[in-house]
Amino acid sequence: MIESITGYLFGIVPLGDIVFGFSEFSIIGFITAVIFTIIVYLTNPEKQLEAQKFRVEDKLEVVSLKELKIRRMMAIVCGIATAGAMLTCDLFDYALFLTLVGIANIGIVSAVKREWVLTASYQYGLIAIIATLPLFGSAGIILAKTGTLSIFELPKTQTSLLFEKIMFAAGMAGETGIAPFYAAKAEMFRAPGSPYILMIHLSSLLLIVRTVEILLTI
Amino acid sequence: MENIIYSIYHPTVLVGFAIGILSLFAIGFQKDDLHALILTDVIECAMLIIIAGVGTDLAEALILPGLVVSLAELLAVSEVLITRKYLKSKRPKPRSYRLFEEFKLPLHTGELKYNIEMEVLKTAPRFLAIVLIIYGAILSGFTGGAVIATGLLFYALSKRALGLEISEELKTMWEGISGLSGIAWALWVIGFLGFFVFPDKWLLCLLMAGLGLVIKVGSKLGLIGYIGEVK
Repeated sequence: MIESITGYLFGIVPLGDIVFGFSEFSIIGFITAVIFTIIVYLTNPEKQLEAQKFRVEDKLEVVSLKELKIRRMMAIVCGIATAGAMLTCDLFDYALFLTLVGIANIGIVSAVKREWVLTASYQYGLIAIIATLPLFGSAGIILAKTGTLSIFELPKTQTSLLFEKIMFAAGMAGETGIAPFYAAKAEMFRAPGSPYILMIHLSSLLLIVRTVEILLTI
Repeated sequence: MENIIYSIYHPTVLVGFAIGILSLFAIGFQKDDLHALILTDVIECAMLIIIAGVGTDLAEALILPGLVVSLAELLAVSEVLITRKYLKSKRPKPRSYRLFEEFKLPLHTGELKYNIEMEVLKTAPRFLAIVLIIYGAILSGFTGGAVIATGLLFYALSKRALGLEISEELKTMWEGISGLSGIAWALWVIGFLGFFVFPDKWLLCLLMAGLGLVIKVGSKLGLIGYIGEVK
């Protein structure tokens, strides 16, 4: 089953419990995440000219270097975590990477010091915290049922994992899947210095695909 | 043994889910932001309960990363909440504002906002220093000296953090003990030589060497805290 979805398996890096596996699918995802991380590192945020409603002059929004730095760092952390999530072959490590991406997304959104942006960031944070229950809970129950968390070992067990898979998918959706909606809700595209939210969209896209692949495999 | 684990396993997981769902209802009824945040932390605890309910060694290893992740998220979201509150109140954010500001001492902020008279701030350093000094004296030798010095340093530094002076009496005594340095040195050397010259009296020599070393190391290292007082 695992070959049919992930393609040819090139090999694994057995670092104790933390197993990284290189298949065609994961290498492509990894390279995509790394390329976009480099692009994010090289990009400068654009300056915005905001039209005022009842005034003549327009307002130029400039992003200060301090604000730029924290947002860029968060975007890079998000990219690295996405790249790691592409390669890992341990269900719990994958859940940890998902949570790390969630925290980095909160950081990217909340770096804009506007009230409406911070409200959306706060609500997204609440959802992300709530989503850890199905995410880690399903990982724990999978461990209890099958005795392993390795993605290579799980397809060999005959136990039915439908309920746990549904819970894991729900946890993934709460942790990173809804991040683009909150970025849209905060109107991050309108906030000054926005291009780093590109990383939110990319990471959630890659992680959704990878989650579907994992859940079809195990 | 396994039967017991299996019989506990289901109720524990059920309890975790029940806590999670009840907290979700509570969040749904909640209007206050801070209360909602605290209730979401309850859901995190329910997650830990579910993992702990698995009850194997591997699950035990999973609890710690889960806890760290939950703490990181909680800190991030609470920082967001604090920043938003400051933006909302239109007040400029104080430069030194941090999450744990309540625990800052007058030394860091430079001002005492409230007149806090807490007895424990004055008594606890003294008590801990005395405990460490007695324990170091029992240990004797170099380790004991290091423990004594830790106690003295802790006392001096906590006094300075509270903005209090070390009493003159204590300073004089401290200096006197440091003055014993030469005698302590001699004790250590004689005790050390005694091992070779009088092997029968090993216990006496051991005590001499240990006592000499403990006074020397303790008083010398403890001086680091004293130096700060001398302007």
